[in-house]
Amino acid sequence: MTIDMSQFYQVFFEESAEHLATMEGLLLELDIENPDSEQLNAIFRAAHSIKGSAGTFGFTDLAETTHILENLLDRIRKQELGLRADMVDAFLESGDLLREMLEAHQGRGEVDPAVVASICARLRQLSADKPAAPQSAMVQASVATEQEKRGGARAFDIQFVPTEVSAKGDGISHLLEALRGLGTLEILSQPASDMNNVGYWQLRLRTEAGQDDFADQIDFIAENGAWRVVEESVLDDQDGAFGFFGDSPGVPDENQSYGFFEPLDSGPSLAPSIPVAVAEDDSYGFFDPLPSAGGGLAVVDAAGTEDGDGYGFFTPLVGQVATPPLAEEGDGFGFFEPLPPVPVSTSPASPVAAENPVAPKSAEKKTEEFHARPAKVAPASAGDSSIRVSVEKVDQLINLVGELVITQAMLLQTAAQMQENAPERLVNGLAQLERNTRDLQESVMSIRMMQISFVFSRFPRVVRDLSAKLGKQVELKTSGETTELDKGLIERIADPLTHLIRNSLDHGIELPETRIAAGKSPVGTITLKAYHQGGNIVIEVGDDGAGLPRNKILAKARERGLPVSDQMTDQEVFLLIFEAGFSTADQVTDVSGRGVGMDVVRRNIQSMGGRVEIESMLGVGTRMTVRLPLTLAILDGMSISVGDQTYILPLSYVVESFQPQTGDIKTLSNQARVIQVRGEYLPVVVLHELFNIKSCSSNFTQGIMVVVDADGIKAALFVDALVGQHQVVIKSLEANYRRVQGISGATIMGDGHVALILDVSAIAGMAKTSLQKAG
Amino acid sequence: MEAMTHGGGAAGEDDLVPSEYLTFTLGSEEYAIDILKVQEIRGYEQPTLIANAPAFIKGVINLRGIIVPIVDLRIKFNLGKIEYTPFTVVIILNIAGRVIGAVVDSVSDVFSLTRSQIRQAPDFSGTFDTKYILGLATIDSRMMIVTDIERLMTSADMALIDSASE
Repeated sequence: MTIDMSQFYQVFFEESAEHLATMEGLLLELDIENPDSEQLNAIFRAAHSIKGSAGTFGFTDLAETTHILENLLDRIRKQELGLRADMVDAFLESGDLLREMLEAHQGRGEVDPAVVASICARLRQLSADKPAAPQSAMVQASVATEQEKRGGARAFDIQFVPTEVSAKGDGISHLLEALRGLGTLEILSQPASDMNNVGYWQLRLRTEAGQDDFADQIDFIAENGAWRVVEESVLDDQDGAFGFFGDSPGVPDENQSYGFFEPLDSGPSLAPSIPVAVAEDDSYGFFDPLPSAGGGLAVVDAAGTEDGDGYGFFTPLVGQVATPPLAEEGDGFGFFEPLPPVPVSTSPASPVAAENPVAPKSAEKKTEEFHARPAKVAPASAGDSSIRVSVEKVDQLINLVGELVITQAMLLQTAAQMQENAPERLVNGLAQLERNTRDLQESVMSIRMMQISFVFSRFPRVVRDLSAKLGKQVELKTSGETTELDKGLIERIADPLTHLIRNSLDHGIELPETRIAAGKSPVGTITLKAYHQGGNIVIEVGDDGAGLPRNKILAKARERGLPVSDQMTDQEVFLLIFEAGFSTADQVTDVSGRGVGMDVVRRNIQSMGGRVEIESMLGVGTRMTVRLPLTLAILDGMSISVGDQTYILPLSYVVESFQPQTGDIKTLSNQARVIQVRGEYLPVVVLHELFNIKSCSSNFTQGIMVVVDADGIKAALFVDALVGQHQVVIKSLEANYRRVQGISGATIMGDGHVALILDVSAIAGMAKTSLQKAG
Repeated sequence: MEAMTHGGGAAGEDDLVPSEYLTFTLGSEEYAIDILKVQEIRGYEQPTLIANAPAFIKGVINLRGIIVPIVDLRIKFNLGKIEYTPFTVVIILNIAGRVIGAVVDSVSDVFSLTRSQIRQAPDFSGTFDTKYILGLATIDSRMMIVTDIERLMTSADMALIDSASE
């Protein structure tokens, strides 16, 4: 039976990318001095999920690298090793590597095997380091950590029931051989010889190896949940361990075997004395941290709760509480026969059940790793509340709704033409339809909206890497991550924002010494803010650095022959840094200073229909403000008529409009026309001439001049009349036709006709060139 | 995308498999095009002008939310009387992933033609370049010009597509 796995690849890629992103985010948040065990666990889980699915899908390179990464993470979270900054670096790098591998598997780019090898070696080396002294700072964990600290042989209690298939083959003997290779192996119990090896096995292994070294092999022989490894503590720990268990018999095991709960959540209600570290291993059900629990007792208790693993969630508990012996029979594996009935009392059971709805998200995560099928009974998980839909489908939906809006407008217009003849019910129905379609359109548009945190989340990493490279100390503060923005914009805003942040870091924030000398805190701050303002979304990138040097910029601009004067406002001067090739950096670094970047930033933002503003104060800081329209699909437009045609002028470009008087319009060399508006001579663009349309206005006094400002280039457009103001849905003209000069797109008006949207920048540009030619 | 079944000269089994063709008239001439390229046929409506476009590009219309350019083949080939009546027909074509409307005098029939029924057209010079003509076919003593509409519409002459027009 072969299943074509490739159909699931896409899901795997997406999921892994998400896990990597989670991992990176957590790593960056991690407090190295005092790591939060919850975060360490989450990082470990992310790595583990990637490893698991990579293995399943046959991406061995991914699985291998993640495995090494996971080993190191595992040791850290079990506090065998102290977390160090270089480890975080290594984790981040291996995260990058994994991302590259994923890309490579998707056919994009290649992975250098040397890089893979070096990162793997680095991780291995980190992982092989001598166990660090446990961190006493860890809250509640001290009990466990001290017991964790051990040298030499470890003893494992291994129990499993092999599957029939593996038992019949050489599986068992291979396993036993492999285990013997690791250390001394004792077979405590094995099935009767006539059982053909199928049955309950209990082994004791004394070895220096970790359980990861053999756990996979056991997993191969027995089904999930049908095997278990308990690490026994070395003898000298026994006393303490017994004491520990005496405090809360049964309870800690409960916590672990179910593993469904964030241990910290359930911990306090179950047994406040449970050390965090013990509870941590829940995701595996390995009981690995149990070393603190002494030999026999631990085995009994832990084994008793084991059926929770294999059987799911509530049933065993209920069964045990009500009729303990029955629960044993019910398990079907005959697994725990040698053990006495489990002493589970109702009191720990009910908090367990009650705890579950409180942490549904974590429950969901765990089940994934647990592979515990019956766990499906867990309450609706967070994953069910969202679905993955392709962007194409959403866009199709948006288009359909757009059509519906147009059809509705047409109906409304028809009804309006009928005037009194229209039956009242029809008019009412149409009014209702109008409201409904508007609501529908709004909610459909909101599907495409994404939180800006999608973009912001990558910046902590950028800032971290770059500040380390530049030897600066920088703190990144973000706010308004939940602000929503069209997906199309989200994708396109990431690059410009990265540039702005790099720029702030490189040119804005000073070196720590300079900052101290200036009486500032050595740690610079970059703030990233997003919020709505009117119909716009505003993103601010601010820093408390040196600020923009006005004089230096002016001098540089003169050097480059740009038309500047000392009378220019600060705002105008600062905008010079967006000129192509402009850089005030004294030397070119690999971070910035080449003068490319900022002009690209401005161009990108403008192509999205947005604009950038700069405010700066020398010595205090700089703030760059990016304003973007909420969506690319809709535009606020002014409809104008030229002859019998209607055009849409994007409202953001319109400055003012007025009726020209006779004699206002002057000619230059008898070719170009200019008009004086508020002391400025603007080139006149006569639209009906530009578009070769018969106009109804024979002279200028009959029409209207619309002054437009496209990125600083002003022009006066002569049109016949202003018709109205609309929100229009932008349609591409190029989809079925080609680019038309002076036209940026098309839209469909209420009457079903097509109106073309004017490309104001192009028209203003044309006017400027024709004026320059004439002048 | 369907493969073009025409083009090669060799006779084979393909020659006997009939394909369907839609015929339309431009003036007194009858043209046939592969029906699989036709999306729909609709009446003429006044399109929105496109500035500085060639005369045969009448403009763009709104076809259920899609902006579709309209080409008047009568102007392009200088055939027939150029007037727009309620009976003027627009054939909406689906070509090279694009939607294009073509104005013709009228749409007449759908025929099945096998390859062997399509004869090579003689070389002639005229407005209609022979490279867009697959051949001539005769049915009931009517001569039809079998046209490679895809090649015609994507050609640089038509100035409909950016890459071809530059």
